[in-house]
Amino acid sequence: MDTSQGSGSNSSDFVRKLYKMLENQTDENVVRWGNEGDSFVVLENEKFTKHILPKHFKHSNFASFVRQLNKYDFHKVRHNNEENGQSPYGAGAWEFKHPDFKMNNKDALDNIRRKAPAPRKANPQPDELMIPTQQMDLVNGQLVATQAQLQQLQHRYDELSIHHSMLLQEVIGLQKTVVNHEHVMQNVMSFLHTVDAQRRRDSRLGNPFGPQQNGAPAQNGNVETQTSQVTPLEDDIPASPLQHASKLLSETNADVMLNPRNLEQMNEMTLKMSGTLTTPPPELLRHARPASRGPPSAASSTSMRLGDIDSLVYPVGQTNGIDPMYSEHINNIPYPMPPKQPETQDARFQDPARKKSTQVDPGWVRAPQILLVEDDPTCRRIGSKFLYAFHCAIDSALDGLEAVNKMNAGSKYDLVLMDIIMPNLDGVSACHLIRQFDNTPIVAMTSNIRSDDISMYFQHGMNDVLPKPFTKEGLLQMLEKHLAHLKKPLAQGEGMIAPQPLSATRQILKEEESPAKSPNTASNWNSPNQVPGISPVSTVTDDYVQTMGHPGAYAVNPIAQGQMGYNTSPQMQIRAQQQAAQAAHAAGHRRQISDISGGDDLNNAAKRQQMYNAPIPPQQMNIQQRPR
Amino acid sequence: MAEDRHDGDIMSIPGATDSIDAATFEQILEMDDDEEERDFSKSIVYDFFTQAENTFGKMDTSLEEKNLKTLSELGHFLKGSSATLGLTKVKDSCEKIQHYGQRKDETGTKDLASDDEALKKLAAAIKQAKTEFRDVEKVLRKFYHDDS
Repeated sequence: MDTSQGSGSNSSDFVRKLYKMLENQTDENVVRWGNEGDSFVVLENEKFTKHILPKHFKHSNFASFVRQLNKYDFHKVRHNNEENGQSPYGAGAWEFKHPDFKMNNKDALDNIRRKAPAPRKANPQPDELMIPTQQMDLVNGQLVATQAQLQQLQHRYDELSIHHSMLLQEVIGLQKTVVNHEHVMQNVMSFLHTVDAQRRRDSRLGNPFGPQQNGAPAQNGNVETQTSQVTPLEDDIPASPLQHASKLLSETNADVMLNPRNLEQMNEMTLKMSGTLTTPPPELLRHARPASRGPPSAASSTSMRLGDIDSLVYPVGQTNGIDPMYSEHINNIPYPMPPKQPETQDARFQDPARKKSTQVDPGWVRAPQILLVEDDPTCRRIGSKFLYAFHCAIDSALDGLEAVNKMNAGSKYDLVLMDIIMPNLDGVSACHLIRQFDNTPIVAMTSNIRSDDISMYFQHGMNDVLPKPFTKEGLLQMLEKHLAHLKKPLAQGEGMIAPQPLSATRQILKEEESPAKSPNTASNWNSPNQVPGISPVSTVTDDYVQTMGHPGAYAVNPIAQGQMGYNTSPQMQIRAQQQAAQAAHAAGHRRQISDISGGDDLNNAAKRQQMYNAPIPPQQMNIQQRPR
Repeated sequence: MAEDRHDGDIMSIPGATDSIDAATFEQILEMDDDEEERDFSKSIVYDFFTQAENTFGKMDTSLEEKNLKTLSELGHFLKGSSATLGLTKVKDSCEKIQHYGQRKDETGTKDLASDDEALKKLAAAIKQAKTEFRDVEKVLRKFYHDDS
C-alpha cells in the first residue's frame, strides 16, 4: 500500500509513529520498551487498544495493529523456552521484536521496511507467527486458490464456447446436408413419378384394365394424359405407394423442419458474446460450409426448372379424389419450392399463413386442441377468446365431470386448462380421474396458489399452474411450454432461440423412423402425439413403415445413392438410403426398377411433382386432417 | 396496435383507477374486433353484471339461512369472474366473503371464533361488495355509453 511512501522518507510512517509512541513515557504501564530495549511490550492489551491506538494510529483495532507489525516484519516474542513459559512482563503481555527496532537507535528504523507482499513465503516459521497472521495467510491462500480456480473456469468456459460454436457450425452443416438430401429426394421422386406415369401409360395403351395392383389406376379412364396440359388429375394418378412416399417426404420436409436460421442466429450470438475468443478454427468453417453449399444450388436449380414448367400446369387444389384416405393431405401438403438459395432464405417468408395482426400466431404445426374446463362464464369466454387469438381450437367443459366424460369418451386434446373449484366435480378430482386413463397435460387455472395447494395439484397429476386472473402472456407462455412439440421451428422468429425447435424437430424425425417407440425428448410428459392413431404423423408413418420391409426395396439403393454426389455423415446417408428405399420401393411395388426408361415425359412427372410442392399453409392442412 | 388508441380511455372515467386494474381490463378490450362497438367485451361485462346480481341475490338468501359454505362458494365464484375482468375492489371483497364463509379471518389465515362472528362479518362484506360493484358498474356503463 504505502511502499512507495516508505522509500520516499527513509523510515516508514508506521515505524516512526511506533517509535514516537514508545518515546512517550506517560503510558508506560500500558506500552513500553522491553527490558533490553530491543523490543517493545504491550502490557495491557485493552487499554492499549482503547486509548493508545486511537491516539497514534487513528484506529482501535489491535488485530490490525498486529497485522501492521507483521507486515514490517515485527515478530511476537514467545517465551516457550523459558522455565515457566511465562513472559517476564506478565501473562497478558504482547512483546514484539524487530532486529532494527531498538531503543535509542533511531537511525536503524530506516532499515525497517514493509515486507514484499508475497503471501506464499510469508510464513517460513509458522510457529512464530501470530494467530491473526495465520488467518491472513489462510485467507490469502484461499484467495489465490480461488483466483486459480476462476482462471481455470475461465479457461474451461472459453474452451466450451469454442466447442459450442464448433458444434453449432457442425449442426448447421448437417441441417443443410439434410435439406440437400430432401432436394435430392424430390428429384428422385419426380423421376420415379416419371417412371410411374410411363408405366401407367404403357399399360393403358396395351390394356386399359390390365393387371394393376392398386385401385387407383383402375379408375383411370380412357382420357389420354400424355398430350393434354389441362388433364384433370383423376386421369393420371400416381401409384399409391408413390403417393405415400411423396407424402412422407413432404411431411418430413427438412426445409420446414430444420431451420438453420435459428442455429445461425445462435451462432452469431455466441460469436458476438464471446468476442475474440471463440472464433472457430477456419478449417472448420470451410469444412462445414462448402460441403453443403455446392449441392443445394444444383438441386434447387433443377427444382426451379421443374417448377417453372409446372406452375403452368396444375393449379393447386385440383387434386380432389386422388386418394380417398389422404386427399386432404395431398391437397395441402406444405412443400415449398426449393428457393434459389436455400441457405440464405429467411424462414419466415416460407410461411404465408404468418400474418401481422393484433392476433398472436405462435406458429403451430397444427391448431392445438385445448379443453377449457371452467364453470364461470366470464372466465370461460375470455379464456376461449384468448385461446382463439392464439390460433387454438377450443372445446370447453362446464365442470370437472363434463371434462372427465369428454376425455373418457375419447376426445383427444393437446392441453387441458382446468379450473379448480367447480360444482359437481372439482378440478383436482377431475384431473385425478383423467390420469387413470390419459396423460394429456393438464394445467390448473386457479387463484388458489398457496404452495400447499400447488403441491396438491401436482400430486394429483396436474402438470402446471396458471394463476388466475390469467393474462394473455401467461396463457401464451403455458401454451408454448406445453405445446412445444406443436410449434413450427421456423415460426420462432421473435428473437427467441431456445433449443426447443431443435428437440421438437428431432422428435418428429424420430417418430418418422420408429413410430412404435415414442421419444420423450421434447417434454417430460407423454405428448398426445405418441398415442397411436392420434397424430397424423405417426399414423401415416406407421402405415408406411410396414411397406418398408419389402426385400426388393434395397435393390434400388445404389441408384439413389448415385444421385447424391457429395459427402455426408453416415447417419445422413442411412437416412437418405432409407428414404430412397422407401420411395423406390413405393414405385417398385408395382413395377420393377428395370423398367425405368428415363423417358421423354420427365415433364409429365415434374408436373405431378408440382402438386406436392404447392406451398400451402400447413396449419390449414392440419385442421382438416385432425379427426375430431 | 390495439393499445394505440381506445375510443375513450376507461381509466379516465372517475372512479375507474381504484376499482379497475387497467392492464387486466385492457387485455380484454384488445380482444374487441371493433373498437367502436366493442361487442365482445361489452357482452362479457354485461353478462358479468347479470351474474353478479344473481350471485348477490343468492348471497342474501344464504346469509338468511346462515349457510356459510354456500356463501364461501358464491364468494369464490364471483371472485373469479371479477378478477378476470380486473375489477379489483369487487374481487377483494369477494375474497373476504370466501374466507368468512370458511370461518376464517379476512386473509384466510386465522379461524374465527364463532359462526355468528363469521355471519356478522359476512353481512358487512357482502354489503361492501355490493357497493363496490355498483360503483364499478357505473364506470363500466359509462364506458360503454350506456346511460340507463
